Amino acid sequence: MDNLGFDGYAPTWCPGCGDWGIRVGIKGALEQLKLDPSQVFISFDIGCSGNMNDFLNAYAMHGLHGRSIASAIGMKIGNHNMDTIVIGGDGGIYGEGGNHFLHACRGNHDMTVIVHDNMVYGLTTGQVAPTAKKGYKSRTTPKGIIEVSVNPLALAITQGATFVAQGFAGDARGLTEIIKQAVTHKGFSLVNILQPCVTFNKVNTYQYFLQKVYKLDESHDSTNIHAALERSMDVNEEKYPTGVLYKTERLAYHEQIDQLEEPLVSRAPNTSIDAFLAHFV
Amino acid sequence: MHFNWKIGGEAGFGIMTAGLVFSKIATRSGYHIFDYAEYPSLIRGGHNTYEVHVSDSPVTSSQWNINLLVCLNKETYDLHKHRLTEESMVMYDPDVFEITEKHDLLLIPFKTIQKEEKIQPNMLNTVAVAASVSIIGAELSIYKDIIKQQFAKKGEDVVNFNYKLADLGHAHATKHHKVQSILPKQSKVTEQIVIAGNESFSLASVSADCRHYASYPMTPASSVLTTLSAMQSTSKMVVRHPEDEISVVNAALGSSFAGVRSAVGTSGGGFALMVEALSYSGVAEIPLVVFLAMRSGPATGMPTWTEQGDLLFAVHGGHGEFPKIVLAPGDPVEMFELTQKAYDLADIYQTPVIVLSDKCLSESHISVATETFKKMVSEHVVDRGKIVSSTKQKNYLRYKSEEDGISEMLIPGQKGIFYQANSYEHLEDSHTTEDSEERIKQVNKRSLKQNTYFKNHFKPPQVYGDKTADIILVSYGSNKGPILDALNLHHIPVAYVHFTHVFPLDEEKIHELFKPFEGKRMILVENNSYGQFGQLLRMHTGINLEEKLLKFDGRPFWPEEIASYIGMKQTRNSNIEILNKPAHIEGESKMSPQEHLKQKKSLMDKLAKEMA
Repeated sequence: MDNLGFDGYAPTWCPGCGDWGIRVGIKGALEQLKLDPSQVFISFDIGCSGNMNDFLNAYAMHGLHGRSIASAIGMKIGNHNMDTIVIGGDGGIYGEGGNHFLHACRGNHDMTVIVHDNMVYGLTTGQVAPTAKKGYKSRTTPKGIIEVSVNPLALAITQGATFVAQGFAGDARGLTEIIKQAVTHKGFSLVNILQPCVTFNKVNTYQYFLQKVYKLDESHDSTNIHAALERSMDVNEEKYPTGVLYKTERLAYHEQIDQLEEPLVSRAPNTSIDAFLAHFV
Repeated sequence: MHFNWKIGGEAGFGIMTAGLVFSKIATRSGYHIFDYAEYPSLIRGGHNTYEVHVSDSPVTSSQWNINLLVCLNKETYDLHKHRLTEESMVMYDPDVFEITEKHDLLLIPFKTIQKEEKIQPNMLNTVAVAASVSIIGAELSIYKDIIKQQFAKKGEDVVNFNYKLADLGHAHATKHHKVQSILPKQSKVTEQIVIAGNESFSLASVSADCRHYASYPMTPASSVLTTLSAMQSTSKMVVRHPEDEISVVNAALGSSFAGVRSAVGTSGGGFALMVEALSYSGVAEIPLVVFLAMRSGPATGMPTWTEQGDLLFAVHGGHGEFPKIVLAPGDPVEMFELTQKAYDLADIYQTPVIVLSDKCLSESHISVATETFKKMVSEHVVDRGKIVSSTKQKNYLRYKSEEDGISEMLIPGQKGIFYQANSYEHLEDSHTTEDSEERIKQVNKRSLKQNTYFKNHFKPPQVYGDKTADIILVSYGSNKGPILDALNLHHIPVAYVHFTHVFPLDEEKIHELFKPFEGKRMILVENNSYGQFGQLLRMHTGINLEEKLLKFDGRPFWPEEIASYIGMKQTRNSNIEILNKPAHIEGESKMSPQEHLKQKKSLMDKLAKEMA
């Protein structure tokens, strides 16, 4: 396992799945940033998205459903010289791991969280996801989901994320550009990627997204939190902006810990307890 | 010499501070201590107590009989008078309440002092400690040194004012009462530290080069988090309090994957949230140290009280089959040694290692020569096993099959290499697999770690007391303290088998050790109602300990209880039930809780008199 390319095994996703385009977007971004798999931490969540673990090379964790952000926080604390990426789905990041997502925004942990948002659970065969529109019918919600959908962009902006963007799996080139910016941004970056699930979601299809997605143009001021919030609310009218909604500067979590001047993993040991013993006498 | 000092008052009266100060006065005077505090899960208004058992030889538990009871309120007297004798000194304010029973009374006008000095009630403990020190013949200057250290940061005025309060305490105590020579400063004083289990775990974590400690506050584990937080600018450890225990443990696994020694700490409820990640640690072979300080469960239970109710949970926590090591230290010194060892074992076996504590061990202090701790630090060499920062393998295999079950773990970063810590079953190269042969290979590889552990690191229980005795107590963890003190309480020879390496259990070595005990009276002693260690021992060795001494009222054992139980059964006088009676083991108890308490009190009174 010492070739330096990002290509792992051939993906096993359904033909036509949005994951293919997302992988191209991620790989393209990492290559254009001149990174190699030995320089990148990736924390994969569980699901079709997380199954990219075998298709994209890196020093990686493929951990527990919903906990990929928590693990990534630890990875970054352990060695903050590594670029750190989280790859997960709408269920893992906004459902099971919603608590971690919200607190990671607050902490401005320096990582890029890439969310495959197809509004449905694929790997467990077609149950509703937290981003599905109210009323969406699935195998677990035959009468339609009662809850309104999570608004990941608004949530991230209001909870302290410093880079919030949205992409579309049908636009791999656009994704590459967004992910490059997200990875180079210092702080917590969310890239929410809209994608169809060709097998289980018959509502939010390619056709659906092609009609509803629009690109943010130069008139959008991504440094203005109110403008960003306004755009993030477009989802209520089934309009999906793509591009960078919001970007601001704030010290990243690890930059605010004095002990992390050097990476924790490579600093010299400091095992003396002499300084503390007097306190106990 | 044994002397038992106890102070009680409302939460917010500074009882905890006063207690620890008294412990330090005793150790600085050349004595040994064991202390124990009780408090409800409240910030204000509840009843707090702190007792310090002082002796000229090492002590490891509390003493039933109280020699000096300091009552900062009436409740203190009412709740603890059943542990007093006529000889016991009682310090109280006759303006606050009356005492009609016969004791050696020591009148201190707390109320008047508070009024005249215009002080908050939480400053009266200074008067009380100084009065205590003076009346038992200890040196007030030792206390004044502590005051100086305590308040130096607040300025000279505060120090001087506290000196004044101490002098007031001294004056009032000695005015009408004869000074006794109970705690004169010893001619030779060896420097000792006063340390509790949680503090010992914290110091050991620093000395073991733990660099990331994450925890969500939960009694009785919280003080590790606050202790390590306070030390972090010097220790350089990253100490974090994330949003929940799930984040805590998964972040610790993240930093451990990155190559950093990492630990988490919690109690039963928080541990319950962590067990999925324990299983991940097991399959992905990521080192992890878990500090689990037990309290009375289930669910929220009795948060500030003690119990050994989570042993089997610790042993079995985590879905699927994977190796795990559980260590149960019996006192703060063992806590230090076994914590250092836990970090090594987690790295060597690349699997979770749990250090088990309980409220009593976590928060009770003992005195230990400072040198003992320094020695444990200087003699310890960090052993990271097969964790390397560069590999010579041409095609690096993270989960390579090895005879000892342990593969080389490369710290991420080496150029030209990458791998995953995969929670799915995986191939040797870490890619996901569902292949039958590969599955068997990896399961066997992980299981082999247990054999290697038995060969290299398992430590059979230590036997204390008279090894040829006909009575053998079997226990683990913090019960060591009261059991060792119990061995000294009467003349019947008794042996104590003390387990620290409680899981996995090496059947062969344990059989060997138990062979001489065959046919003898063996008693399982546990601070829970199920006899969980007994179950574990039987499951893994077939050894069945039928006689059980169990206690599960949230309080640790009294040595007197253990001694008395052994003695009573010895003389077949078993009509007195002194301990908690598990309904499922001995049939339903017909006694009401009130009757039970009454009977217990009368028995303990009798004991106290006998032992006075």
